[in-house]
Amino acid sequence: MKQHPLCSDCENPVTPLDLPIPRAVKQEWAALETRRRFLGRSGKVLGWAALAGLFGELGQRSYARGADVNSASEASNGFGLPHFAPKAKRAIYLFMSGGPPQMDLFDYKPSLAAQFNQDMPDSVRGNQQLTGMTAGQSHFPVAPSHWPFAQHGQTGTWVSNLLPYTARMVDDLTIIKTTNTDAINHEPAIMLMNTGNMNAGKPCLGAWLAYGLGSMNDNLPTFIVLQTKTNPKENNQPVSSRLWGSGFLSSEYAGVGLRSGTDPVLYLADPAGVDRDVRRKMLDTVEEINRQTLAEVGDPETNARIAQYEMAFRMQSSVPELIDLSKEPPSTWDLYGPEAKQPGTFAYNCLLARRMAERGVRFTQIYKRGWDVHDNVVGMLPGLCQETDRGAYALVTDLRRRGLLDDTLVIWAGEFGRTVYSQGGLTQDNYGRDHHPRCFTTWMAGGGVRPGITYGETDAFSYNVVKDPVHVRDFNATILHCLGIDHNKFTYKFQGLDQKLTSPVPAFVVQGLLA
Amino acid sequence: MIDAHKLIDAIRSLRIGFASAKWLYTLGVSTLLVLLPFALRLDGRPHADWLQFLGRFHPLLVHLPIGMLVVLPFLELAGTTRPGLREAAGFVLHVTLATGAITLVLGILLAYGSGVMGATVTRHMWGGIALLIELMVWVTVRPAWIAGQLQRAYPTLLAVCLLTLTWTAHQGGSLTHGSDYLTRYMPGPLKRFFPSASAASDAAYVGSAYTRYIHPIFDAKCVACHGASKEQAGLRLDFYDLLMRGGKDGTVIAPRNPDHSLLLQRVTLSPNDRHFMPAEGRTPLTADEIAALRAWILAGASPTGSSIPGIATAAESADLPLQPVGAYSDLMNEIRQMQSSEGAKLVAVSAKPSDGLILRTTDVASTFNDAQLARFQRFAPFIVEAELGRTAVSDSCFDTLSKFVNLRALHLEGTAVTGRRLGKLSSLSQLTYLNLSGTKVTSDALVPLKSIPNLRHIYLFETPAEPASADTNSTRRSTQ
Repeated sequence: MKQHPLCSDCENPVTPLDLPIPRAVKQEWAALETRRRFLGRSGKVLGWAALAGLFGELGQRSYARGADVNSASEASNGFGLPHFAPKAKRAIYLFMSGGPPQMDLFDYKPSLAAQFNQDMPDSVRGNQQLTGMTAGQSHFPVAPSHWPFAQHGQTGTWVSNLLPYTARMVDDLTIIKTTNTDAINHEPAIMLMNTGNMNAGKPCLGAWLAYGLGSMNDNLPTFIVLQTKTNPKENNQPVSSRLWGSGFLSSEYAGVGLRSGTDPVLYLADPAGVDRDVRRKMLDTVEEINRQTLAEVGDPETNARIAQYEMAFRMQSSVPELIDLSKEPPSTWDLYGPEAKQPGTFAYNCLLARRMAERGVRFTQIYKRGWDVHDNVVGMLPGLCQETDRGAYALVTDLRRRGLLDDTLVIWAGEFGRTVYSQGGLTQDNYGRDHHPRCFTTWMAGGGVRPGITYGETDAFSYNVVKDPVHVRDFNATILHCLGIDHNKFTYKFQGLDQKLTSPVPAFVVQGLLA
Repeated sequence: MIDAHKLIDAIRSLRIGFASAKWLYTLGVSTLLVLLPFALRLDGRPHADWLQFLGRFHPLLVHLPIGMLVVLPFLELAGTTRPGLREAAGFVLHVTLATGAITLVLGILLAYGSGVMGATVTRHMWGGIALLIELMVWVTVRPAWIAGQLQRAYPTLLAVCLLTLTWTAHQGGSLTHGSDYLTRYMPGPLKRFFPSASAASDAAYVGSAYTRYIHPIFDAKCVACHGASKEQAGLRLDFYDLLMRGGKDGTVIAPRNPDHSLLLQRVTLSPNDRHFMPAEGRTPLTADEIAALRAWILAGASPTGSSIPGIATAAESADLPLQPVGAYSDLMNEIRQMQSSEGAKLVAVSAKPSDGLILRTTDVASTFNDAQLARFQRFAPFIVEAELGRTAVSDSCFDTLSKFVNLRALHLEGTAVTGRRLGKLSSLSQLTYLNLSGTKVTSDALVPLKSIPNLRHIYLFETPAEPASADTNSTRRSTQ
């Protein structure tokens, strides 16, 4: 068998001098490889290495000052987070995928009724590029909301009749009418909302939090994603694991998806005949082998794999306890409604989110798809609201009565809003709405934000921001602030950049939202 | 060569008489220099424009004598073996003296002309005067040194000159770039050796809206020129009293009258206006900062008010300011040990150690009992939050908890406590949050809690003490 010329295992090791290379190069090699040169070079290398060590230590120490305690008690991070005493320890993000129509839910525009079916003034739309779905329309007829609004709470906040439960808790909410984004299509917009960047490959909010703040419960994942069962009647845009991925961070910080059925983690239970001790022994051996691989190859993903095996083992006992709702008091079902008993419904997921908050899960994200109402708004919207309204209300209320809302931040948001003009035909009793990135309504509640306020103003068409815009980046910066993180200092070096959730464009914590 | 020898001989012959004349001359000029600041007293008022015009060449010219002064010791050192360089040193020394004198005069013109004053300005000026006097002494004693005398004293003089130069130059640099220019981006470990001359502020007004929102604006944008080190126009903005006293143009803040407040007028002028502040291309105030100033003045420019109407800030939170806990870094090893032996963790609230520790029992909740809690007693003053929800603690936990003097939040939800000893908590003056949901606590047991001044949130969901009303707000009780 012919061996490669540079193979070190062969009987007669080959030096570069034996290689078929030009004589001049060989001479240079021989001249360079003197003992004197070797020693001289090693000396310099050692010097540089020592210097690098000194500086590295210096730099790290200054970076991690005050982080000592965290690294002692939360093994996960060693870089001084939270930067300041946080108001919220954990967050629950209710993600309304598809883009809820703000003017049918929160952004009350009574003057539109008089403009039914009138073309929107060009000055309002400006030179905005529209989606392919309505760019070809010759008319942009104003479609006022089909549903009446009423004032609620001590704050007198206007809320659509579609959201009777949300209306009950307006005094607890921080409603943002002027959230705005850069993207007009689902995938880039939903990526921007979750990861701060339209392109895939960046860590999402939850992964950043898991990486930065670490776990509060060793037996459950730090970041859990719950998907609501889809309703086939609705226009469901796909959501993919990219939205809860860890990007360039180690994959142990990615969101762990729990399935929406009765068996939330597949293959979590041990097969028949394998008891917990056997499983433990097996995992110990696998870990040993993995550690050898890590020592040889040095790929940090091996560490992530080891951590995931261990987490799965601990989840074998913690997850069944988590989803066992039999001990919930009757008051729970009074609040969440009977739907909460069916796994996979939004209400059920909200209840799980509350249980996770109690058990120290740092970040829970619930996805509800189907808000993409391009046509038949009147037919679709009541169903969507009915599915989500009570769950969201129950979650906030439950957290509050149990004393958890003081240090939990609840966020309700989609990736963009919808147009005031009708997509397709506008009739007396139905209309459609296209994507709208320039303004949409979101809300937050709980630790760190000021309850009972409505922030920002939109124009008479709910089309442009008139006052106090909140860009997605500002939105995310504010969330991080509530959790004690200065978004500008929270960076991770990757591809030569100090990467951060709020992307390279400057972002600002919205002080007006803070408690 | 012959000429040089003749010259040296001539100098030697004249030495005594010549030298004493030089000394007299030096003494005379020095006296004049020392008197100069008293003649041109810095009174914080700008004077004739031409003074300032000439004065502004001071920063330009100043680097010439500095550079030559620094090179002089090298010339003198090299001169011991190469006579040509020694000769050059003499020449350079004279040029240094001449340019130094011009620089000093320009500097004083700058200060006097522009109406600047302040501690750093004064130090810089006296440093310059001292340096020039030292230079004259240097020139005077040099011939003696060349003649072989003063072998010890001469190098000492050089060293003194260089030290004076360094100190004076640093004062000048602080005037131009701000006093924290060198230390601001210093790596953390080094910073410890330079206790930062951090922003002065009024200790008396801690926590007021002025201290939190208004003073930081002055601190960032104004105090470099209107502060202790430099009192441009006699105005200082680093303390409330000085701010209200105003400068040479009178008061700058007219309470309740923003439009007549000189300070606000100056910062809102067109940036091209010669009276626009901050002057000389420094960062202008942002719209938010101006709005905050305006609102503060409109509200009466009070140093003690806790909020500014119309300005949305994080100020209006009802939460108490965090009470700093003591240093526990000596206990770090024990804290780590506690974690491995008890399973419960002591977690830092934030990167700032004085924010305290959270006692977290989530991972071992079902087994964590009173005895284990008691073992955390030695960390008691540092624990600001105790997460004991769903643990196995009982009523005797209050004995331990009463020692947690800095406790702000206490979670006891889902535990077996009945509240019989809740009264023990009444010594916890910082306690604002108490969660007793899902316990057997009765409303009678809650009575002693009334004496805890800051307790704002008591959660009683699913307890016998839960108010009967169906209204969800009722579970959140306020003792206030």
